[in-house]
Amino acid sequence: MSDPRYEIYEAGLIGEGMHTPPVLPAGLRRAPGGVDGLRTEHLVVNMGPQHPSTHGVLRMIVELDGEEVVTAEASIGYLHRGIEKVAEHRRYDALGTLMDRGDYVAGIMGELAAALATEQLLEVEVPPKANWLRSLTSELNRIASHLVWFGTFGLDTGAMGQFLYAMRDREALLDILEAISGQRMMFNYVRPGGVVRDLPPGIDAKIREFVDTFENVYLPEHDALLGGNEIFQSRVKGIGVITREQALAFGLTGPNLRASGVKYDVRVDRPYAAYPELDFEVPVGEAGDAWDRYLVRMEEMRQAARMIRQCIDGMPEGPHMAKVPKLIKPPAGEVYAAVESARGETGVHLVSDGSEHPYRFRYRGPSLFALQALEEILPGHLLADVVMIIGSTDVMMGEIDR
Amino acid sequence: MLRAADVERLLAGVDSAEVAEERLGVVARVGRAAVADALAALRDAGFESLVDLLGIDTGEHVEVTYHLRSYASGQDLFVKTALPYDGELESVWQVYPSALMPERETAELFGLRLSEHPNPKRLLTTDGVPPLLRKDVPVRTPEEFTR
Repeated sequence: MSDPRYEIYEAGLIGEGMHTPPVLPAGLRRAPGGVDGLRTEHLVVNMGPQHPSTHGVLRMIVELDGEEVVTAEASIGYLHRGIEKVAEHRRYDALGTLMDRGDYVAGIMGELAAALATEQLLEVEVPPKANWLRSLTSELNRIASHLVWFGTFGLDTGAMGQFLYAMRDREALLDILEAISGQRMMFNYVRPGGVVRDLPPGIDAKIREFVDTFENVYLPEHDALLGGNEIFQSRVKGIGVITREQALAFGLTGPNLRASGVKYDVRVDRPYAAYPELDFEVPVGEAGDAWDRYLVRMEEMRQAARMIRQCIDGMPEGPHMAKVPKLIKPPAGEVYAAVESARGETGVHLVSDGSEHPYRFRYRGPSLFALQALEEILPGHLLADVVMIIGSTDVMMGEIDR
Repeated sequence: MLRAADVERLLAGVDSAEVAEERLGVVARVGRAAVADALAALRDAGFESLVDLLGIDTGEHVEVTYHLRSYASGQDLFVKTALPYDGELESVWQVYPSALMPERETAELFGLRLSEHPNPKRLLTTDGVPPLLRKDVPVRTPEEFTR
């Protein structure tokens, strides 16, 4: 044997004792002996919490057999700010501010969930105009949020161009939302009783112009750029399959649930805001793989654009805020309100004891449930697919850690 | 529309189950020993998804709420049980796998012990952090206020 790679053995540099395999941590299985009696073992890889493709500060502890995932565990809490505890020391009109910092890419929907729960406690009727403004801003925000997902999901698969175009369109949307609410991301626009202000003059034309361009030019362009790419298709088709049964068992909601073939949308099944009066379709997938989740979200953007146009056309006249006391002291009680956010059912479970502070504020983030489903579906996939499956479920760490 | 009587019928075999229609919806209160039985019976009756699991510190005990949903009928149902402080939260992950992480979170933030859970580690905070959502844990300690 004159292979130079073995000289180190012949030179006696590695002694007998050095070959003893390391003691593995409890719970880690050793692979059976590989080819030619070579020793193989499982490798534990820490992805994150600062991995660029884990969408924030998610840490996936992945145990690998070669390139194949054996077990996956999500380690979270890096963004824990104690929102639920903080809420118990805030007034009811400040809950929206906290929800903004939960799912920080789709803030309007979170604010809306908190406002709906407070209104249920107060038994306040919201004026029609406020409902229409809530639907309008929700759908604008939904497109902005889906565009972030679209751009980063492409990055996960190795594509680059679509991210820049997605950010360009999102920027236009954030400009519109800033003109409406005064803020780019932490809107604090939806308050108990209505919305904080009316549309500024001249914004209709701007929104209409954006929606027309987006629906007819940009969205088909995005879809062709990423979804029409054969490499992208071959990478995402068939991976990360979540069956209908798994989706229900793991409590998935929103686009992830619909991609698995369950037709459930909070906007349709327990309508809120102006959604009963809007005409839209709910896309449903079949296979439940990453490609179906892609298709469902792309179609949702198209439907959101349709709804925005209807909201602008049908915007009623009247006040945008109901008569709500300055200091909100709802009667004691317990309620649950939910909205269809960009990631699924964002729910607020609110308990009041009659004082000016909520007694208990529970923020149900849909991403938490999507994340624990990942622990079930990742085993059996290649390491390279892990980032794509995480990306396809669109988890948002802000609302997981809260 | 789901009625309390329907749920009572489903929970006929479960000890000490009380069903009432509250503002929240239909709420079934069961003893803490009967939670697993009650949830299994409800899952078999069509409540196929656990949407949420949360704890509430009522001042006397920790109330754990299981939020169930039947997608076929579009109905929600809340199952509540009371646990003593520092009590034991028995995992229901074999009935509803979606309880895995919320149970860890609830146990950690309310100071409960988690039993029969495959991974009973802390979820959000590190060792040494007090059970934050208990009412006797302040947002800031007196020392931090005066600093």
